[in-house]
Amino acid sequence: MDLNREHTRLLESSKFGTFALIGGVIGLVLTAIGYFVVSPGQMYHSYLTAFFFWVTIGLGGLFFTLLHHLTGAVWSVVLRKFSESLMAALPWMLLFFIPVIFGLHELYHWSHEEVVAKDHLLQGKAGFLNPTFFTIRGIGYFVIWILLSLSLFKLSVKQDQQHTPGITAKFKKISAPGMLLFALSLTFASFDWLMSLDPHWYSTIFGVYIFSGSVLAVLSTIMLVALFLRSKGFLEEVVTIEHYQDIAKLLFAFTVFWAYIAFSQYFLIWYGNIPEETIWFLHRWEGSWKTISMIIVFGHFVLPFVILVTRNSKRNLKLLWVMGFWFLIIHWIDLYWLVLPTFHKHSAHFSWLDFTAMLGVGGIFMAIFWRKFTGNKLVPMNDPELKESLHFTNM
Amino acid sequence: MESTVKSTEAAPANGKVPLILGNPTFNTVTETISGIVENKPPRIWWGIFSVAVVLAAMGISMIGYLIWEGTGIWGLNNPVGWGWAIVNFVWWVGIGHAGTLISAILFLLRQRWRTSINRFAEAMTIFAVICALIFPGIHVGRVWMAYYMFPLPNQMGMWPNFRSPLLWDVFAVSTYFIVSLMFWYVGLIPDLATLRDRAKKGVRKYVLAAFSLGWRGANRHWQHYEKAYLLLAGLSTPLVLSVHTVVSFDFAVSQLPGWHTTIFPPYFVAGAIFSGFAMVTTLAIPVRHFFGLKNFITDKHLGNMAMVMLLTGYMVGYAYGCEFFVAWYSGNEYEQFAFINRAFGPYAWAYWTMIFCNVVVPQIFWSKKMRGKPIVLFIASILINVGMWFERFVITVTSLSRDFIPANWDYFSPTIFDVGIYVGTIGIFLSLFLIFLRFLPTIAMAEVKFILPQANPHAHENH
Repeated sequence: MDLNREHTRLLESSKFGTFALIGGVIGLVLTAIGYFVVSPGQMYHSYLTAFFFWVTIGLGGLFFTLLHHLTGAVWSVVLRKFSESLMAALPWMLLFFIPVIFGLHELYHWSHEEVVAKDHLLQGKAGFLNPTFFTIRGIGYFVIWILLSLSLFKLSVKQDQQHTPGITAKFKKISAPGMLLFALSLTFASFDWLMSLDPHWYSTIFGVYIFSGSVLAVLSTIMLVALFLRSKGFLEEVVTIEHYQDIAKLLFAFTVFWAYIAFSQYFLIWYGNIPEETIWFLHRWEGSWKTISMIIVFGHFVLPFVILVTRNSKRNLKLLWVMGFWFLIIHWIDLYWLVLPTFHKHSAHFSWLDFTAMLGVGGIFMAIFWRKFTGNKLVPMNDPELKESLHFTNM
Repeated sequence: MESTVKSTEAAPANGKVPLILGNPTFNTVTETISGIVENKPPRIWWGIFSVAVVLAAMGISMIGYLIWEGTGIWGLNNPVGWGWAIVNFVWWVGIGHAGTLISAILFLLRQRWRTSINRFAEAMTIFAVICALIFPGIHVGRVWMAYYMFPLPNQMGMWPNFRSPLLWDVFAVSTYFIVSLMFWYVGLIPDLATLRDRAKKGVRKYVLAAFSLGWRGANRHWQHYEKAYLLLAGLSTPLVLSVHTVVSFDFAVSQLPGWHTTIFPPYFVAGAIFSGFAMVTTLAIPVRHFFGLKNFITDKHLGNMAMVMLLTGYMVGYAYGCEFFVAWYSGNEYEQFAFINRAFGPYAWAYWTMIFCNVVVPQIFWSKKMRGKPIVLFIASILINVGMWFERFVITVTSLSRDFIPANWDYFSPTIFDVGIYVGTIGIFLSLFLIFLRFLPTIAMAEVKFILPQANPHAHENH
C-alpha cells in the first residue's frame, strides 16, 4: 500500500471537486432566480434549510474531530482527515450566512417592529430577538467555529509535515475547551436560526435535538465519502470493513439517541398539554405535514433501527451506501419539517427551490471539502496510533 | 504509594501508562484480591461497619415509627407534599447509574480501564437501588397498601393509573434492579469459582460451589460466558438511559414551572452519571487505600473518573443554564418566577450550594495535578454528592413551595425524622457495601487478568 501514489492518482483522476463546484454555482444561480420567479419567502426558507443542513455537516465534522481527540480513540484515526476536512469547510459558511441576514424579514416574524409593538411576549424577548444582536451572535458563532477548525486543522497539517512529539497533547488542549464552545454555539445557533422562527415557542431540549441529528448526518457523510473512494479503488486497505462496522454502530446508537431526544420533546409537550407548547406540534400535524411527521418517525427511527440492528447489516457495504444517503435525506426532511411549517402553514408544498438551494450550498461546501481533503495527506501518517487503527478489528 | 506513581511515569516506552501497575502475574492477582475475602479484615473495616450498622438501625427504627405514626412526622406541609422521600429516592437511583454505565456502556465502548472498578461499582448500583426503593415503599403512608403500586388484580377491581409515570417508575426501577443483579452475578461466576477452589472449610466451599454453578473454566464455559456478558451489556445499556428518564418524567409531565421542561430526560441521566461517578470515587479511594489495591485502582483510574465527572458536570451545568435562559426567553412570568425564586428566593442557599458543588467544584479537575491527588478527588466527590442531593431538593421543593397562587405558599423545613431516615439509608448502604467487601471479590479477577500484557498472545512481538 503506497499512500503517496494513491494520493497522486486521486488528484489526477478525480473530478469530484470540479463537478461539485459547477453544481454549486448552478444551484446558487437558480436559487437566486427563484427569488424573482417564485417568491422571496419561499426562496429564503428553502435557503435557510439548506444553509442549516450544511452547517450541521460542518459542525458534525468539528464534533467528530473534537471527540476523537478527547477520547484518544484509536479506531477513528484513519477517518480523522475526513472529519477534519468537513470541519475545514465550516469557516466558508460565514459567507452563506449573509443571505440569511438579508432575508431576516422574510424569515423571522420577530424582526418586524410593528409586529413586536402589538405583541406583549415579543416585547419581552426584544432584548435578545432583534436584528442587530441576532447578526452579532451569528458572527460570534462563526468566530468560534473558525478559530476552532482553523487551529485544529493547522495542527493536523503540521503533524503531517514532521513528526512532532507532544502534538497529541496539544490537540487535547484545544479540544477540551473546544467541546464546551461547540456545545454552547450549536445550542444558541439552533435557538436563533430555527427555534426563533416561531418566536412564541420554546423547548429546552432543542439544542440537543439538533445535535443528535447533526451527528447522524456527519457520520453518514464520512461513510459515504469513504465508500465513494473505495468504489474508485482508493484507501481500500485503510478504511476497512471493521471501520465501517464501527461507523454503523455509531449510526445505530445515534438513531436511538435521536429518537430518545425527539420522543422526550414530543412526549413531555403532549403530556403537559399546555397550548403555548402544543401549538408547534399541531402545526406539524396539519394537512400533508402530518404525513411528513410520520415519515420522520419511521424514517428517522423505526426503519434504520430495524435495518441496522444486526451485525451483518453493519458490515454490508452496499446496504451502508443506501443507509448513508437515507440518513442525509431524512436529516434534510427533519430540518425542512422544522423550518417550513412557519411558511407553508397548513400543508407542505415542495418547491424546486428546496433542491436548488441544497445543490447550491452543498456543491460549494463539498467543493471546499474536497479541496481540503485532497490538498493534504489522506491519512494522518504521523499519528502515533495510526498503525493500531489500521489493524483494528471488532471482536 | 509515592514510589508507584514514580515508577509509572518512568515505565511506559510507548507513552501509555499500563492499566495495572506493579507488573503482577495471574497468581498475584488472585492472591491479592482473594486475600481480602479470605483474611481477617483490617480494624478500620470494623470501625466503619459498626458506625454504619448503628446508623442503619436508627434509620430502620425511624421507619418503624413512621409506619406507626404516619407521614405527619415528616416536615411535609400543604404545598410541599413531596419532600425528602422523593429527593432521596432520586438521589439513590441516580447514584446507581454509574455502576451500569461502567459495566455496560464502557464495556461496549472498549474502555478497558473499567475492569478494575466495575465489580464494586455494580455492587454499589444494587445497594443504591435497594436504598432508593425504600422511599417509594414508605412514603405512601399506609405501607401495607404498598402492593397497590403493582398492577395486581384484586377483589376491589382497583388498578393503578397506567398513564402515571409513577407506575412506570415501578416498572423501570424494578427492571433495572433485576437486570443489574443478573449482570453482576454473571460477571461474578468465574471469580466465585476461583474462591471455591481456594476454600478449605465445608460450609464456605459448599456455598461458593452452589453459587458458581459448576464453573470449571473450560473453553466452552468461557465462550458462553463472554457471549452472555456481551448480551447483558447490550441489554443494560438502554436501562442506563431509561430509568432516570422515567424518573424525570415524574416531574416533567406536570405543568409546574421548574418541573415541566423538555430537557429533563437527558439532564437527569447526565446528573445520574455525574453523581454515580462521584460515589464510585468516594468509595474507591478508601477501598484501594485500606485493602492495598493501588496497583489495580491506579491514579490513572481516578484521573479517568475525574474527567467523566468534569464532563457530566458540564452537562448538568448546561442544563441549569439552558433552563434558566429558556425560562426568561419563554416570556412566561410563572416560568420566570420559578427560576428567579430558585436563585434569589428563600431557597437561594440550597440553589447556590448546588451550583457551587456541581458546577464550580468539578472545575478543579481541569488540572492534571489535582486529578492525581486522591485526597482532592475524595473531597470533591463528596461535595458533588452533596450538590446532587441539593439539585433534587431544589427541583422538588422550590417549585412546590411557591406555586401559582401566593396564598398557597409555604416554606418547607425537615424534621429529625426526615434527616434520620435519610442518614439511615446511608447506613444501610454502607453496611451492605462493607459486607460485600468481606465476602465477594472487590475487583473482577478474571477480567483484570484479560488486560494484563501476558494475556495478549502477541505481547512479545510489540518490542
